[in-house]
Amino acid sequence: MAFNYEKYLRIEKMPTLWCWGCGDGVILKAFVRAVEKMGWNQDDVCVVSGIGCSGRFSSYVDFNTVHTTHGRTVAYATGIKLANPTKHVICVAGDGDALAIGGNHTIHGCRRNIDMTMIVINNFIYGLTNSQTSPTTPKGMWTVTQKAGNIDPTFDTCALAIASGASFVARESMIDPKKLEKMFVAAFSHKGFSMAEALSNCHINLGRKNKMVSAMDNLQWIDDITMPKKKYDELSKEEQINILPTGILHHDTEADEYCDMNEEIIKVHQGKRNKITQDDFTKKI
Amino acid sequence: MATREIISTGNELAAIAAVDAGCTFFGGYPLTPSSEIMHTISDFLPEVGGTCIQMEDEIGAICAVIGAGMSGVRTMTGTSGPGMSLKAENLGLAQMAEVPLVCVNVMRGGPSTGLPTRVSQGDILQSKNPSHGDYKSITLCAGSLAECYTEVVRAFNIADRFMQPVIVLLDETIGHMHGKAMLPTKEEVKAGIVPRKSFDGPAEEYFPYQCGPTEPAVLNPMFKGYRYHFTGLHHDKRGFPTEEIETCRKLIQRLEDKVEAHKDEIESYEEFMMDDAEVMIIAYGSVSLAAKESIRHLRADGIKAGLFRPITIWPSPAEKMKEYADKIEKILVVELNIGQFHSEVERATSRLDIEGLFKVNGRPISPHEIVSKVKEL
Amino acid sequence: MESFRTKNPGDQPVWINTSNCKACDICVSVCPAGVLGMIYADSSTLGAMISIEHPESCIGCNDCELNCPDFAIFVADKQEYKAAGHSFAKLTDEAKARQAAVAANNFMSLEGAK
Repeated sequence: MAFNYEKYLRIEKMPTLWCWGCGDGVILKAFVRAVEKMGWNQDDVCVVSGIGCSGRFSSYVDFNTVHTTHGRTVAYATGIKLANPTKHVICVAGDGDALAIGGNHTIHGCRRNIDMTMIVINNFIYGLTNSQTSPTTPKGMWTVTQKAGNIDPTFDTCALAIASGASFVARESMIDPKKLEKMFVAAFSHKGFSMAEALSNCHINLGRKNKMVSAMDNLQWIDDITMPKKKYDELSKEEQINILPTGILHHDTEADEYCDMNEEIIKVHQGKRNKITQDDFTKKI
Repeated sequence: MATREIISTGNELAAIAAVDAGCTFFGGYPLTPSSEIMHTISDFLPEVGGTCIQMEDEIGAICAVIGAGMSGVRTMTGTSGPGMSLKAENLGLAQMAEVPLVCVNVMRGGPSTGLPTRVSQGDILQSKNPSHGDYKSITLCAGSLAECYTEVVRAFNIADRFMQPVIVLLDETIGHMHGKAMLPTKEEVKAGIVPRKSFDGPAEEYFPYQCGPTEPAVLNPMFKGYRYHFTGLHHDKRGFPTEEIETCRKLIQRLEDKVEAHKDEIESYEEFMMDDAEVMIIAYGSVSLAAKESIRHLRADGIKAGLFRPITIWPSPAEKMKEYADKIEKILVVELNIGQFHSEVERATSRLDIEGLFKVNGRPISPHEIVSKVKEL
Repeated sequence: MESFRTKNPGDQPVWINTSNCKACDICVSVCPAGVLGMIYADSSTLGAMISIEHPESCIGCNDCELNCPDFAIFVADKQEYKAAGHSFAKLTDEAKARQAAVAANNFMSLEGAK
């Protein structure tokens, strides 16, 4: 018997609609293995996904699932979590979903440090809609909207998350599924906003016109541009350019968590009234 | 029927109505002239264990509200025209996925930034189709301070009955008007709460979107052992995306028919001195207050005017308006826009000679102006 | 609906679910021991299918299962496999050489088309 994937998947939906060799499937696998390690009851988990290839993630997992509009996973998840603070809410969004159209909500989810995990599946392109530039597409690469080469500078998801106030920030890639699984477990276990960036390959869109035709070529490229944090910290500033550190990049266990503070607000309001009061001006007739 | 007398403003009444009707989640963003709804509810909601959150933008607000609604609670947001424009896409998802919620729009001068602190009724057509695609909007309009309370209460019950967003229109005048309102008691409101339907059989037999052609989805709260999928894509009986021809056609047709087939449950209007009316004034919201005053003047001058006031704007009271239009020659629509409801009256009555008194300078219409216009007819 | 095949079909160290395999080559590329290879298959979308060529060389590292995006290949649980009286192989130079040959052969099986 292998790991009991069937328990956590809607297997009637398999095989997935993702391309051959797409990293989304590896991330899905690591995710499911991590949920098992957490020992969560499936009924207590809600997975909220955005639009894009990674957006289809939520239909494959057997939890309470929501497939939202483009860029809004964190906003929907905020409502679900605040209305149900004891439940486990996980957002899954792509790089375009989370950082372009959804940038504002990502920033504020981090800022509030609300207890949920956001998995940003970064494949450096808009995959589902066929190769448009995303905020993480490397400079100079061919995209269908910038055929002469991308002139947009790139975003560092993790730097953005740290600056915005997320109390747990980590990055791994699908070249090492074991590390991915460990990262998810750490993210799920952390109380606060956990940003877990999972680098993925899109050899069909990004790779095909940028000299990474096969999944393995694309994975090799990801391997080339990533480095464990410890080693990364030893590089000079010049050497660090264009390299992404992996591992847990930020972990603050002291930061106030939003649902806890909201509970305090609810307590403070018991038996107290400020402006308009129903009873002060009420006459029963 | 016991009543209580409250002195307050329209916005504040809308807020306390939500709390009394069982709302436990509010997501909002500051937008004049609706912000007071959020200010008030931020005091009242935590008292009942609920949450009010000011989100980072209008879109975040509606998304948080829909998320909370998906998880099973009664939920509301408050905004004005520019906010409605921003919320459009996600209101569409709530229509498609059949998520109940109440969206209060306190109308101000538009379009665009318009006149933030001044009145208009320019969002009537927008309320009919705030988002792209085919669905049937349910929009109510408060025409008095008391209705700022009672219509919000009614909106929650309608939202849960039809499983979709309900828009409640106030306008800046009524939102900020301060005066006396006679309201039902909290107990009455609580007794009148009709929560959404739920399924309590075995989970394997639960198909949230498998319902009769004129019925809404039955969406169980999350986290209770019934795991299914919400999406804005066309979906099958369990909520999963599909492109199958018949499934897609039936879904969209059902979104239309679930409201159309039962609009008698939603329809609401006021007939003020219409029994012997020879002039029918059609007005809603704060304009209806001026209209009623103008009718008293007109009657004193021997003109038999009456007011037909739609309270449910969408679906419109088309049959009733046609009934009147078939026997009353002079019809005047008075509104603070350039004929948005006027065009619906023309459509419903099949008459192209409906008169209009329109004002779009951010100022209310006075009874005097209506009296003068009626005398010209 | 075909079973997902997470259950070991018969005391195998590694087994496959061909209905899920999309012939992406990743499992073949990460196997250290030359256990796997792609074979030509008319009925599959890409014209190829995964095949377990040398199960006796499987060292139970689990890399193929963890790196497969499609739940198409599974490795026996170490404890269960041992309790059934089996053991995984050790990694030999011969196995490594065979893996290098398969990789150089565009991940196609060295045994030829079946």
